[in-house]
Amino acid sequence: MSAHQHPHEEQDFLFKYVFSQDHKMISKQFLITGFIMGFIGLSMSTLFRLQLGFPGESFWIIDFLLGSWAENGVMLPDKYLALVTMHGTIMVFFLLTAGLSGTFSNLLIPLQIGARDMASGFLNMLSYWFFFVSSVIMLISLGVEGGAASAGWTIYPPLSALPQAIPGSGLGMTLWLVAMAIFIASSLLGSLNYIVTILNLRTKGMTMTRLPLTIWSFLITAIVGVISFPVLLAAALLLVFDRSFGTSFYLSDIYIGGQVLEHAGGSPILFEHLFWFLGHPEVYIVLLPALGITSEIVSTMSRKPIFGYRAMITSMLAIGFLSAIVWGHHMFVTGMNPFLGAVFTFTTLLIAIPSAVKVFNYITTLWKGNIKFSPAMLFSVGLVSTFISGGLTGLILGDSTLDINVHDTYFVVGHFHIVMGLSGIFGMIAGVYHWFPKIFGRMLNNNLGNVHFWITIVSAYGIFFPMHFLGLAGVPRRYYTNSEFPLFDNLFDINTLITWFAILAFFGQLIFFFNFVYSALRGPKAPQNPWKGNSLEWTTGVKHIHGNWPGEIPTVYRWPYDYSKLNDNGDYVTGEDFIPQTVPLADGEKDGGEH
Amino acid sequence: MIALVAIVAVLLVIATAVQILKIAELRATESGKEIYEISAKQSKAQALLLMVFLVAYFGFFAWQVWKWGGLMLPVSASEHGVGVDELMNITLWFIIPVFIITHIFLFWFSYKYSFSETRKALFFSHSNKLEMFWTIIPSIALTVLILVGLSNWNKIMTPVASEQEHILIEVYGQQFSWTARYAGKDGKLGRASVEYIEGVNALGIDISDENAKDDKIVKGEFHLPKGVPVQFVFRSQDVMHSAYMPHFRAQMNVVPGLKTQFNFIPTITSEEMKKITNNENFEYILLCNKICGAAHYNMQMDIVVESKEDFEKWLAEQKEFSAE
Amino acid sequence: MTTISLDNLDNIKYKTEIRQKTAKPLLWIGLMSIVMFFAGLTSALIVSKSNSIWIKLEVPSMFFVSTILILFSSLTYQLSLSFTKNNQLKFATITTILTFVLGISFTVTQFYAWQQLYHSGVFWAGEQSNPSGSYFYALTALHLLHLFAGLISLLVVVTKSILKKYSPTTILGIQLSLTYWHFLTALWVYLFFFLKFIA
Ligand code: HEM
Ligand SMILES: [Cu+2]
Ligand SMILES: [Cu+2]
Repeated sequence: MSAHQHPHEEQDFLFKYVFSQDHKMISKQFLITGFIMGFIGLSMSTLFRLQLGFPGESFWIIDFLLGSWAENGVMLPDKYLALVTMHGTIMVFFLLTAGLSGTFSNLLIPLQIGARDMASGFLNMLSYWFFFVSSVIMLISLGVEGGAASAGWTIYPPLSALPQAIPGSGLGMTLWLVAMAIFIASSLLGSLNYIVTILNLRTKGMTMTRLPLTIWSFLITAIVGVISFPVLLAAALLLVFDRSFGTSFYLSDIYIGGQVLEHAGGSPILFEHLFWFLGHPEVYIVLLPALGITSEIVSTMSRKPIFGYRAMITSMLAIGFLSAIVWGHHMFVTGMNPFLGAVFTFTTLLIAIPSAVKVFNYITTLWKGNIKFSPAMLFSVGLVSTFISGGLTGLILGDSTLDINVHDTYFVVGHFHIVMGLSGIFGMIAGVYHWFPKIFGRMLNNNLGNVHFWITIVSAYGIFFPMHFLGLAGVPRRYYTNSEFPLFDNLFDINTLITWFAILAFFGQLIFFFNFVYSALRGPKAPQNPWKGNSLEWTTGVKHIHGNWPGEIPTVYRWPYDYSKLNDNGDYVTGEDFIPQTVPLADGEKDGGEH
Repeated sequence: MIALVAIVAVLLVIATAVQILKIAELRATESGKEIYEISAKQSKAQALLLMVFLVAYFGFFAWQVWKWGGLMLPVSASEHGVGVDELMNITLWFIIPVFIITHIFLFWFSYKYSFSETRKALFFSHSNKLEMFWTIIPSIALTVLILVGLSNWNKIMTPVASEQEHILIEVYGQQFSWTARYAGKDGKLGRASVEYIEGVNALGIDISDENAKDDKIVKGEFHLPKGVPVQFVFRSQDVMHSAYMPHFRAQMNVVPGLKTQFNFIPTITSEEMKKITNNENFEYILLCNKICGAAHYNMQMDIVVESKEDFEKWLAEQKEFSAE
Repeated sequence: MTTISLDNLDNIKYKTEIRQKTAKPLLWIGLMSIVMFFAGLTSALIVSKSNSIWIKLEVPSMFFVSTILILFSSLTYQLSLSFTKNNQLKFATITTILTFVLGISFTVTQFYAWQQLYHSGVFWAGEQSNPSGSYFYALTALHLLHLFAGLISLLVVVTKSILKKYSPTTILGIQLSLTYWHFLTALWVYLFFFLKFIA
């Protein structure tokens, strides 16, 4: 390999590590920035869980970390909302959109399709730096006068438009909007690159039906992003106009702070439509990459082809398409036309069908496999479990009639954390365990990984399953405390239990972060193909080189799921239980993806 | 000082962990293996834990139902709510078995087919029959759910016909309280707008409007008659709120610049509900369910449901708007 | 499908090959996101229109002028590409400059149109404004913002054209800029009819 080493090895630090245009380095940058943001989001949730579990009790740590946001160790009610808002924003956008897609699309697209790099390394670099700047602004907004944005991650006006209504809607919200605008630019630049790279730069023989499911999921995610993020930008822009210039797109008939506002003729409902036109697809922007990643892992670790490759692709396409026409299910009780409500119920429940198909295909892939339980595989099984558990309660929320009584309650919080939060996180973490050798050239410690998995799944269900019960008892979300209602008095135990599990979850993640840092620096050196995978990334060397393959890019002859394929004599074709994509088809052998 | 001790302690923990990892790696290499290799035994151990987890998960579910099932909302106190609860039950009877069966398969297969050096996995990449099967079955189940759901939905969302006997109430939200306004004898609510808000006239009622004169404004708690359709109209003064009356399975957002509506027929009086729930202090409640500011968590109003006669007596005692 | 090995990864040939292959798709998908942006805004307008206080506005006469100007500019830009392809580089330069001038005139007429609107009592914001007016200004201004990007790309093409950097075979830059410019024209025509007949 050294014969091919290039002057790039000596390029100066700044361009190698900071303004790198190499997709592998950009992937690392996304991963680390995403994890830092994720850790902050996680810490916030632990803090406000303390308040919910032990309302009014004084905590040293809250005083220490929150400063003026707390009084005598108890956080203030409006700052509770600021924490919830920032937690939601950071988790959804910064960790599970940029962190997840940014890391794995960047790492795997060129490696798995056989390309030297992204279509445009420059745009790719910009994408990361926009994300970085956006993260920094979002964090700065935590420290400004009035506090960070506090209107919920959905920033519905008028609350988000009027500093009179909540202090966080002052400078904090302005910075939120600026950060999100930059974030959207980052996401669009990334998506452009992913789509074009996948469509145009595949290596010889890499037809669309020979792409690993990861790539399909990144492609569909990117398309969904390109279609929906601009609409969020439009929504945010009109909100900026209303806030800063006094237009009336969303505001009308408001009396606040002792005076009537000039705004007339706008409608907050309009904002909801625009927001959820992104907001719902966003759920799938989080979910689809996680599904793609785990499909790959489940197949590799079960030593079996993924069951129903084509059905998996069709389901993802169907989910991607349907995700754009279901947004109204977030608005059943906004007074929308009941007929529209009926239409949205219909489209929403339709999404359950491709989702169900995916679940059954996962399970069938396990059947008669030969499953090695690496931490990545454990998290993948965990994802299938969370996807089922959270998806099923979606049938309740998607039904307009039932939604009337559970809308905006803790039932919703339980549902979306399990189906989107946990599935997204599990998929992302599974991906990190599986491709860590590709990212850092070293192996993570399995024992710590197993412990991490067990703590995570136990505490995750411990946190979010009981929330359904709170919701069915009528507890609204975004409440600073439930202690003001006699109705909720006997639910205290549930809240305390949830908080204990949240604390456990927090410490469980510390194990992971330790494992991550330790292994990245000191872990055992990785072999080239530790999981005996078929796809192209395992044909590249452990050491990263610019351009990925030292000589020619390998040609591809088959789909990536030829695991445990036998010849007519009942033996493995290659002598081992896997056939890399670079091995030509034998005479008369059919390619798996082609049926 | 505490911080210093804490930092030292954390550093020590990390250093110990690093040492342990190093030793483990060395021991693995000595036995001729790499530490990251996963043996059949290790894999089986995790698979076994997955089975344990499955049982624990179901157990946890059952425990929650047993422990907290009684704390859920009591029977619906409105007519349409009974339909909602029924639909909820149908849906749950569909969801829970699917949840259990898929989980059993998922974890059982994981356990059963855990890695062994001797077994070969089955190359089984697709089956049109199976895939058709599990596309069609969910489709049928969902069609049923949709049809039942939508027939309920259309009924619930249809406003009370104006010629039918009913009570008209405006529920008015502002940071952070609720006010109710009854239409009075004429059955009509007087015009209102933020322009007219002044002093005690917090609802912004147009004093010159004839319809407004007999309107009755109440705070703190409001009453509903049993068995009579109640037509609600919602208005907000400042930001969005949501009028949530969980016992009646009723919720509607309260949006500035927009009038929204909801209607239901109360079927159980407060007194009856106290007996049903075995709770002396039971009160129906209206709470805010859309984030609306710092005190969002404490924006509430009590609701009293009583017989029609009691209700009329109570209403007669309330002052008319013109009297204020 | 690239067969270039690592040794010449950074050479110009490899870079141009990738650029040839991906620049246009990148642009097209970028345009798709701009379409979605304006689709969002114009559907917002349709939703807002149902409000009772919505006032229907007349399109200021200047918008007719600007429409004609931008249509012409598209034409001249297209001509410039043909000239380059036929190796008539001088004409190409002239038509590109003409396009740029037309683009600037379009910008100026937009400002006049806003003045017209303002004088006829249509305000962007404030007590006397109506959402219909705000949409008018917002949509046209956001279009203009995108047009500025087009003008910058034109400026680059003009400069390179003067420096004789183009030949009948090296026209990717012009093609990209041209596609974007046509897109801006189409977008404007859409907005114009939308404002005239729907708003
Ligand atoms: C241990 C981890 C986590 C805990 C303990 C936690 C806890 C919570 C709780 C209790 C709420 C509701 C607060 C309220 O309504 O008053 C909440 C809101 C939310 N969480 Fe998490 N969460 C965690 C992880 C995540 C993850 C991974 C995601 C990623 C999707 C996420 C996304 C959100 C969102 C979007 C909201 C809504 C924020 C809003 O209401 O505006 N959370 N979280
Ligand atoms: Cu949704
Ligand atoms: Cu409220």
